[in-house]
Amino acid sequence: MKHTLIRRVPIVDRRTTLRWLFAGLAAGQLVACGELGGEFSWSPPEALSGKGYGTDPDLLDPTTPWPLTLTREELKTVGALVDLILPAEGDWPSASEAGVPLFIDEWVSAPYPSQQEQRGLILPGLAWLDVEARNGGEPSFAEASPEVQRSILDRVAFKDRTPPELETAGRFFSRMRALTIGAYYTTAEGWKEIGYQGNRPASGPYEGPSAEAMSHLRSAVEAMGLTLVSG
Amino acid sequence: MVDQTTEPHDAVVVGSGAGGAMAAYVLTKAGASVLMLEAGRDYSPDEAPMLNLSRDAPLRGTGTPDKPFGFYDAIVDGGWEVPDEPYSKAEGSDFMWFRSRMLGGRTNHWGRNSFRMGPYDFKPYTRDGLGVDWPISYDDISPWYDRTERVVGVYGANLGLENHPDSGPGVLQPPPAMRVWELFLKAGGDALGVPVVPARRAILTRKIDEREACYWASPCGRGCAIGAAFQTTTSLIPWARATGKLTVQTGAMVYEVMLDASGKASGVRYIDKATGAHREARGRVVILAASTGETARILLNSQPNGRSEGLANSSGQLGRNLMDTVGSNISAHFPALEGRPVYNEDGAMGLHAYIPFWLYREQAAGRLDFPRGYHVEIGGGFREPGLGGYGDLDGYGSDLRRSVRGRYGAQIGLTQRGEMIPNEKSFCAIDPDLKDRYGIPVLKFSFGWSEHELKQVAHFQSAMRDLVDRLGGTILGDVPTPDKAISVGGEIIHEVGTARMGAKASVSVVDSFNRTWDVDNLYLTDGSVFASKAHKNPTLTIMALAMRSADHIADRLRMGEL
Repeated sequence: MKHTLIRRVPIVDRRTTLRWLFAGLAAGQLVACGELGGEFSWSPPEALSGKGYGTDPDLLDPTTPWPLTLTREELKTVGALVDLILPAEGDWPSASEAGVPLFIDEWVSAPYPSQQEQRGLILPGLAWLDVEARNGGEPSFAEASPEVQRSILDRVAFKDRTPPELETAGRFFSRMRALTIGAYYTTAEGWKEIGYQGNRPASGPYEGPSAEAMSHLRSAVEAMGLTLVSG
Repeated sequence: MVDQTTEPHDAVVVGSGAGGAMAAYVLTKAGASVLMLEAGRDYSPDEAPMLNLSRDAPLRGTGTPDKPFGFYDAIVDGGWEVPDEPYSKAEGSDFMWFRSRMLGGRTNHWGRNSFRMGPYDFKPYTRDGLGVDWPISYDDISPWYDRTERVVGVYGANLGLENHPDSGPGVLQPPPAMRVWELFLKAGGDALGVPVVPARRAILTRKIDEREACYWASPCGRGCAIGAAFQTTTSLIPWARATGKLTVQTGAMVYEVMLDASGKASGVRYIDKATGAHREARGRVVILAASTGETARILLNSQPNGRSEGLANSSGQLGRNLMDTVGSNISAHFPALEGRPVYNEDGAMGLHAYIPFWLYREQAAGRLDFPRGYHVEIGGGFREPGLGGYGDLDGYGSDLRRSVRGRYGAQIGLTQRGEMIPNEKSFCAIDPDLKDRYGIPVLKFSFGWSEHELKQVAHFQSAMRDLVDRLGGTILGDVPTPDKAISVGGEIIHEVGTARMGAKASVSVVDSFNRTWDVDNLYLTDGSVFASKAHKNPTLTIMALAMRSADHIADRLRMGEL
């Protein structure tokens, strides 16, 4: 239901992006100016306003009323980034195969203060990835070689190794990583991978831990010199 | 100004939450006719999205200002901000006022934790010289706790713990089995003398009347359409309706209590939100259960004969003594729980076990640097994955996948719920300037913690650090200093005390039967009457006091006193 509604919303075109760029420049802010040779500016774009779903939405038929706003280019960057964060592995799909980019778009387009604050970090962050890729001789982050993509991420993905001048980029990456994991493991595939077995009604008393789970617990507790007493 | 007057009832009850619905249930069962006025809209638990998937909700169900506890949470038109109904804060004060605008009020989404107050909790001044005693003792209220627990349906165990009273024989329902992470915490607690014991919650584990037993799925905050998790919309209100004696009027924003020439309450005035019309509702007795804040607001705004201090305020205590629960949190990761065998750990969703306050003897011996107590609510397990809690992860790719899988079910949240002692800084009053969209003057809150609460937070942090250490865990993130770690007033949504109960009219607003000292037929049956705020979650006590008060009102109606 919700996804039908989302797909009907036109993706913001390049002209809109340019309008944002010029709005930023007019306000005396340098947006994505790495290519101009200066220091990269993390100035946030103007926050979106609009209506949320309200204080009494229909809980049995959820809809997402706000339009999606990421450009095609931004969605490509998001897709490349989330697939580096969670690539396909064995039976498990990649983040973009699991629909994570659409969720990121829904998130940064939501007209709530927290999401708009994050939009202010994420949109410049996506531009930063492209600037870094171009500095590495690539046309964009999405089109860059895996080696270049990794070399960019390696500088911001590890808390102990992120240099001070990349602190904001590190926060951007950390936020994208948390959103990607959250979006991924809330899908059916994510539940399956992680092993969530709940949301299944049952009759009779609560079954409690399996025999296997109890025996694992007993070993773990006894290894610490503690005693297991059943509740 | 008033364009319609309803037929008089025996009782007018303002509010349909825990206190209002209990009063209406007891009175209608006793044969009295009751008009219940609710400011919010009508609500049916059939609206509860019990098994709906977070992935189908906007933002995967994450909380927003529109729905602070998440998209699927039951609360309607509510939260710490309510559309068109502002409140203000005194300069330098922070306070968050949670309201809901729906039939059943906050009972539709509460945590269902139901801990009895004990003997010390009713006589706190006697124990440590701080605050005030209640005019009743635990023994006075204990029969009504038993009756309330039977009506509501509470799971738990009788453990004979100090100041955590047992229930009467056969009252409690069996508690659900503890889950692995709870047993793990219990093993650590046992070694340190910290009790981890079965919790008490207002959730059926056995079917009674038309309500089903818990089916071990669906977060209780979404509302419980099968009636297992207690809320007034599946129990007290339909039962009161079944007597044929209850009339419910929703969308009725009460703003004033009316008095007759003799000084007795004759009814209330309200605004019909659908039409904006001002109306009157008349009854032989008026019962306010609009919530701790709203009840105080109605009384402060009722100014018969131009009395600017409000109604039932000869003591000057109305609006004062505002308290909330002390809250803080610590989360920890336990390598010993990594990679443990998965199974379904939803259970009753919330607490199966908790840590009751365990240091009364040390406190009595003067070995603690804070008065009163706290309990610890514990959360963990193989829960439905959500959007939060990944901020501490590092790296990307296959290693990241492994980290996410490894920590699933290996983290435990420890949440402090502690007693606040009433203080001079914490009260609500009418804002002289601001009005809501209905033209009703709003509340202005002042709030501050004292060193008692901050020392209690420090103790919690240190005790939990010991427990985490003993179990080989690591605390996630930095632990802030107590003044930063402590919750904002109102954040825990246990606000009580604005019309406290007492033994003397000079220092309290209501007597031991929740009757206002100043108006003989005006009763308050919500959290406003609390003389102290034990660390125990207040709803069960609100209901037990409301039941006792309603019994008293029913007797007086029968005897023709009202």
